[in-house]
Amino acid sequence: MFKKVACTVPGNHRHLPYSAAFPTLRPAVLTENSEQTQERRWTGGGEEVDGGCKEREVAEDVDSVKQFSSELIVEAVVRCLRVIDPPLGNGLSPTLPPGMSARFRLGMSLAQACQDLGYKGEIGYQTFLYSSEPEIRSLLMFLVEKLPRASAEASDQPAGKSALLQKAISAQVRAQLALPWVPPTCRLPLLCRTQSTGMSGIFRSQALSLPYSKGLGKPPVKEVSDYYRDFLLPVTAQPSQYASVPASLLERHALDLSAAQEWENEWNSQGLLTRLSPEGYRSRKRARLQKRIEEQLRAAAQPHPNSPHGPHSGPDLAEMLHSFGGATTGGTVLAKGTRFTHTEKFTFTQEPETSAQQMAAAASVMPSSRQSEEDLLAQQQDELQALQDQLKQLSIRMEEVGGDMKQLSVSIAQVSDELKQRELSNGEKEDSVRVKKQTIDLLPDAENNLAKLQTLVESSAKRVISLASQWEKHRAPLIEECRRLKELCSNRELESSRKLFEIKDLHDKIRQSADEAKKKEGLYKQLITEFENLPKDVSRCAYTQRILEIVGNIRKQKEEITKILSDTKELQKEINSLTGKLDRTFAVTDELVFKDAKKDESVRKSYKYLAALHENCTQLIQTIEDTGTIMREIRDLEEQIETENGKKTVSNLERILEDYKAIRQENSALAAKVREA
Amino acid sequence: MAGVETQLMLSVGLIEKDVNGDVLWVWCYPSVSAELRDVLLSKCCLTLDSSMLHTFVFGQFSRTWYYITTVEVHEPTALKKVTHFSIVLTAKDFNPEKYAAFSRVLCRMYSKHGSPVRMMEGYIAVLTKGMCQNDENGSFLVKDYDAQKAYLAGSIKDVVSQFGMESIILYTALMLKKRVVVHHPRIEAVLEFTRVLPALTWHRKDWSILHPYVHLNERELESLRLCTGYVAGFVDPEISNRSDLFDVYVNLPDSEITVSQNAKEAMLMGKLHRDVGLLMVQSAEHADRTDSQVIKDISVKTKEILANLTSLAEECENSKITLETLKQRRFPPATESFLFHLAAAEQLLKI
Repeated sequence: MFKKVACTVPGNHRHLPYSAAFPTLRPAVLTENSEQTQERRWTGGGEEVDGGCKEREVAEDVDSVKQFSSELIVEAVVRCLRVIDPPLGNGLSPTLPPGMSARFRLGMSLAQACQDLGYKGEIGYQTFLYSSEPEIRSLLMFLVEKLPRASAEASDQPAGKSALLQKAISAQVRAQLALPWVPPTCRLPLLCRTQSTGMSGIFRSQALSLPYSKGLGKPPVKEVSDYYRDFLLPVTAQPSQYASVPASLLERHALDLSAAQEWENEWNSQGLLTRLSPEGYRSRKRARLQKRIEEQLRAAAQPHPNSPHGPHSGPDLAEMLHSFGGATTGGTVLAKGTRFTHTEKFTFTQEPETSAQQMAAAASVMPSSRQSEEDLLAQQQDELQALQDQLKQLSIRMEEVGGDMKQLSVSIAQVSDELKQRELSNGEKEDSVRVKKQTIDLLPDAENNLAKLQTLVESSAKRVISLASQWEKHRAPLIEECRRLKELCSNRELESSRKLFEIKDLHDKIRQSADEAKKKEGLYKQLITEFENLPKDVSRCAYTQRILEIVGNIRKQKEEITKILSDTKELQKEINSLTGKLDRTFAVTDELVFKDAKKDESVRKSYKYLAALHENCTQLIQTIEDTGTIMREIRDLEEQIETENGKKTVSNLERILEDYKAIRQENSALAAKVREA
Repeated sequence: MAGVETQLMLSVGLIEKDVNGDVLWVWCYPSVSAELRDVLLSKCCLTLDSSMLHTFVFGQFSRTWYYITTVEVHEPTALKKVTHFSIVLTAKDFNPEKYAAFSRVLCRMYSKHGSPVRMMEGYIAVLTKGMCQNDENGSFLVKDYDAQKAYLAGSIKDVVSQFGMESIILYTALMLKKRVVVHHPRIEAVLEFTRVLPALTWHRKDWSILHPYVHLNERELESLRLCTGYVAGFVDPEISNRSDLFDVYVNLPDSEITVSQNAKEAMLMGKLHRDVGLLMVQSAEHADRTDSQVIKDISVKTKEILANLTSLAEECENSKITLETLKQRRFPPATESFLFHLAAAEQLLKI
């Protein structure tokens, strides 16, 4: 029994015990390489460029590679090639042509293409035309391995729910875009649904109020939280029109998202460098912006003399500024605001008066045309003369005054210099007077006082020095401390800048890790969906049971093998002992007979027979052994023959011969045609 | 005599630069005002970015003279963590040699003992007795350093030989109490050159017009503007653009003298100037004439001019001159203008 199994395992039925053991797994696992691949290609064929050739469905009854027809194989291979290497695959037709030589050419070029891709196995045109299952299987497996991964993932693998939704959306959008726009009157009901403007409203968003929107991190004021709890409408009820709910939500979401992103960018690029806490940075930025806005408003609100709007807009603006600034700076702005309004009132009340005066002056200057020409000329001459005289006088006076001024300025310089010198000498003199006064006071008892003074000076000098040494006791440690602290401080500075650098580094790393995590999350979700899509009925239990069964079978077989092995050993032993017995028996008999043979003639004859018998028996045994060896060889050869038969070599050869004949026939027909032509 | 002179010293201070690179004003006696302290710190070469060490600099700020000696601490001494230190002396008088010698003595004391107490003992000794015992070589005596010597220490011959006939511009500017600014990138050159210039008006013996080391900051310029005429030294090349600060600009590296536009009128040169200029050049060219002799020559000529001016003044009432009296004499216009301005500078003008 064992021998039978061992004989049938090699060859083309290798998978049989396997498939017998897992009948339910077969379509999913075993044939995955062939059918699924093709189904994939076939159904995805819409995206490929194929010259109007129809996609081919794998027939229902085909459930193994063994049942593939040549057409199916050729198409499978060509489509795989097109995906793997478009320029290579596009030159090949996925349909099998009727003519033999064309078929041969297609087969050869397919084989060549596969070899170019790196297929190592034996391949020729007959592989496609007269396929054997193992060859096709290994070829298709090779091609599937070669299929580009990314596109396969993108187009084929089931993604997460969101991915599926997105895919559906994009498909829908693409389909709608592909439809031509049709004037409203010509629309079919289908188009009406997608192209009418009635359905899709204008994108109109409204500001939404959300409970958590402001004061993040801080607990809201009690009143505010009350408002949120009792009065705030749900988001869907807030917009005035129901249609603008999605728009408002989208707008709100985009706003929040961009604000968060912007803040993160700013904080990472500038905020970190200021070494402030996030709140501190925010408040500083707010104060800065407020100040700038205030300045701008103030500049814009400066009273413009010609502007008619000034008197109206001025007070409003000032008031606004006041209230705006009041929130931040308080009293100082108030004062400024009032001054600003005062000046404004002043300018605008003045204006009408001044303009009236100007008008009057202009009217008086108007020349009267009634005066005669000559009078006018003479008058002008006189006037010119008078003016020239006046000019001369003025220039003379100018010169005089200039000289005076020069002189005076020199005098001023002199006086100020003198004043300074006097002041200085005064100070000096006052000092010396004070000293001299004291000296005079001490003069009466000069000798005594001098001695006293000297002792005083000496003692105070000593005192001062002792004080200095005492001060030194305090000063030196303080200076030392100061230096130590400075050093510490600079060390800290260094440390902190180093840490800042590290923090930045960490931030980068965190961002990278977050990205990676996001990616992995996506992958995880995808795998989860994939897992969910897998058939659930195959339980682990069944698998293990089967594995255990197989293990049991193998153990049983092993036991049998050991039994047979021990049998063989026993036989060998028996043979050995028998051979020994025979040898010994022969030796004894030989001796006895030989002894007698010397005496008796008939015995001699029987000795001869004995020797002949022994020789013949030995030959017989030898022959039996040889027969065994030959039998084994025969069995080996039979096995080989069977394998060769599996390859269908003979029939293939016959077919090839037939093909050859067909090609020759076609060739001769063509040659005849040529000749006729 | 010595007793009076010792009173000229105002204070002694100490600036240290430590291993952290910080420059600290660590000690002083009796006291230095905060403003002056800031100025002194800016003058001290330790606070400058360049690693150049100026061993000795001096200058004037608001009529207080300061003398700064800077020493690098080399051999292991009592001073830990200190790489350089400067001794700052302030005084009422101009005498660089005296204070350089004294501060050298103080430096040795400080680097030896590492404590300002010993330094202070020396300072008090000079203040009370006019002398100070030095451990190594003799003693420091105040009376060895006369003010007269300090005035004559610079070389007028060098100045005249550098600028030739153009020296007369300097002479005129100083006589008329104009504002002279000297620029050289090296502070030592500026100090050496500027201290000579007041000697051109020897009859005044006024060295308070000298501000040899001025920075272009508002505080110092303000103090400079308070003076009518001055000789100021700058190392910052930016000074050439500040024409509001000078009437005469001396570019030392290029040996150029420029008279600013608004002072041209007062600085008109005539025959009188040529005479003085020739006298200066000839006197300075004499190989065997010392600096003090050259100064004396110039001074004699100056006195001559002044005597003329005084005699003119005596004819008028109150011994004061007016422009009219000058005009009556019919001097050439350049001489008339010079005499007029000179009279103003010498307070001989009638107001």
